Amino acid sequence: MSGGAALSPAMAALVLFGVFFTLMALRVPIAFALGLACLPVMFIEPRLSPMIIFNETFKSYNSFILLAVPFFLLTANLMNVGGITDRLVRLSRDLVGHMPGGLAQVNVVLSIFFAGISGSSTADAASQGKIFIEAQVKEGYDLSFSVAITAVSAVLAVIIPPSILMIVWGGTLSVSIGALFLAGVIPGLLLGVVQMATVHVYAKLRNYPKYPRASMKEVFAGIGVAVPALMTPVIIIGGKIFGWFTATESAAIAVLYAAVLSIFVYREMSGKQLHGALLDTGRLAAVALFCVGTASAFGWLLAYYQIPKALLAGVGSWGMGITGTGFFIAFCFLVVGCFLDAIPAIIIVGTILEPLARSVNMDPVHFAMVGIISLAFGLVTPPYGLCLMISCAIAKVRLMYVLKDVMIMLMPMLGVLSLAIMWPDLILFLPRMISPEFLK
Amino acid sequence: MRKLVDVYYRLLNWLLVISVAILIIPVSLQIFSRYTSLIPSYIWTEEMARFFFIWMIMIGSMVAIRDGGHFDVDLWPELAPRPNALLRIVSSVFVLVMALVFIWYGIRFVQFGWNQTSELADLPMPFIFAAWPLAGFTWVVFLGERFLQDLRIVAARPRA
Repeated sequence: MSGGAALSPAMAALVLFGVFFTLMALRVPIAFALGLACLPVMFIEPRLSPMIIFNETFKSYNSFILLAVPFFLLTANLMNVGGITDRLVRLSRDLVGHMPGGLAQVNVVLSIFFAGISGSSTADAASQGKIFIEAQVKEGYDLSFSVAITAVSAVLAVIIPPSILMIVWGGTLSVSIGALFLAGVIPGLLLGVVQMATVHVYAKLRNYPKYPRASMKEVFAGIGVAVPALMTPVIIIGGKIFGWFTATESAAIAVLYAAVLSIFVYREMSGKQLHGALLDTGRLAAVALFCVGTASAFGWLLAYYQIPKALLAGVGSWGMGITGTGFFIAFCFLVVGCFLDAIPAIIIVGTILEPLARSVNMDPVHFAMVGIISLAFGLVTPPYGLCLMISCAIAKVRLMYVLKDVMIMLMPMLGVLSLAIMWPDLILFLPRMISPEFLK
Repeated sequence: MRKLVDVYYRLLNWLLVISVAILIIPVSLQIFSRYTSLIPSYIWTEEMARFFFIWMIMIGSMVAIRDGGHFDVDLWPELAPRPNALLRIVSSVFVLVMALVFIWYGIRFVQFGWNQTSELADLPMPFIFAAWPLAGFTWVVFLGERFLQDLRIVAARPRA
């Protein structure tokens, strides 16, 4: 393809990345920086025209799979206004409130429940930021710790199924979404446990308060009230695995289920709140997805000049095995995650790294989960970590203020990631056991 | 003028809410028609959902220009209001370039699709493609408004 092109791959890469990073430094929104970076190349290259931006954006928005993004956001927003979140908070408090750092433990456990229902970390960070940060500070927790644990625990939402990232990954790189859903369960829960351990250490060192232990009766009452909400993951994941509905449809089911619970079972939603939930959903989904369009145009140009091949030409000769490649892939996604949102990162970088993973016979599901976990960590790494930005915005502090605590909390989580890289069974065990037909 | 922009902004917000709410309908129809015989399985539900989705994204991208919803990376230390406004003007100029491209080529995009209809529901494609030039136009309006605000901040004498 690049035979007879006006620009060599190296030049094209220089222009694309050069313009993108310059504009990013000038605080041009990422979505626009990606689109603008495409323009010079399209004008220089006689065979290309800016019409490609339109084709690529149209193609990426005209996608049934991405529809799952607004649906999962809407599910989360309906949970918050409809009283589902409140029930889950109560249950989490009954379960773990008596541990040292009770409220922070509740924060993590709620994120695990939330992750099983919604597939969006940003929605988790936004809703829990409002619930926990102020409450924790009031009970004597440090502000930076409170902001950090809220942001870091929100990351679980895209690792524990359902997950927007898994749907996008499965859609763009043709991996079974059902298998990814199953693969996320163990590493996701493990990350949750590790976070609770981190909170425990913090609480012991800093003498954070705890709640009186709930009686068995209270625990059962809490479970009883929350049962309808806790059924959601079973419906979504079960429905996907048994092939009752597609990924997007399962997200729509989640919306309908959350709506039914809010309106008929818990009866706490007003018309105004519904309007707010819809508006919030539209804004966040549209902004995230608009960026997917321009990222696709950017990725298309990278592919046109065969830049990925040039970038990875040297890597193949390093002779890495699955583990080495796994660490290399995780490293790439962790770095990219600092600067890009996860969905565009999958579209641009996931497709770049896929041939590398294939060349060492890494299982596509293993590759996907290493990528998704690394990108999920990118949600709390500066300068561009959406969950961290949202939590900081709610607490009205700057990113730098909470950076140290976030890094401390990430360390054990990176340990889990390394474990998942070195020991693929951690990821592949569940899909292999429940639905081996999904794995090649 | 300001009021007019405000009304337009609120209209777009309403359209955004409606488009999100409507999205759920065709997808639900699709599922229900598969498992019950209450409604026939319409073939256009999937396409319908995608088209509302496109409009939702584009309307959302317009709204976000006014309320600063598009995410950016902040590598700068905390700036005083004036340099901050200056930096915002610079970044707005670049967004404006994109807006003009969307208008100029977006119109050609609509013309290109003039006689096309969609595969399943026979919807004229210009209805969909029109979202692009409209987005460009709306960005120009909202950017212009912010330009004026920022210019005022930059031009204001620093209080002695």
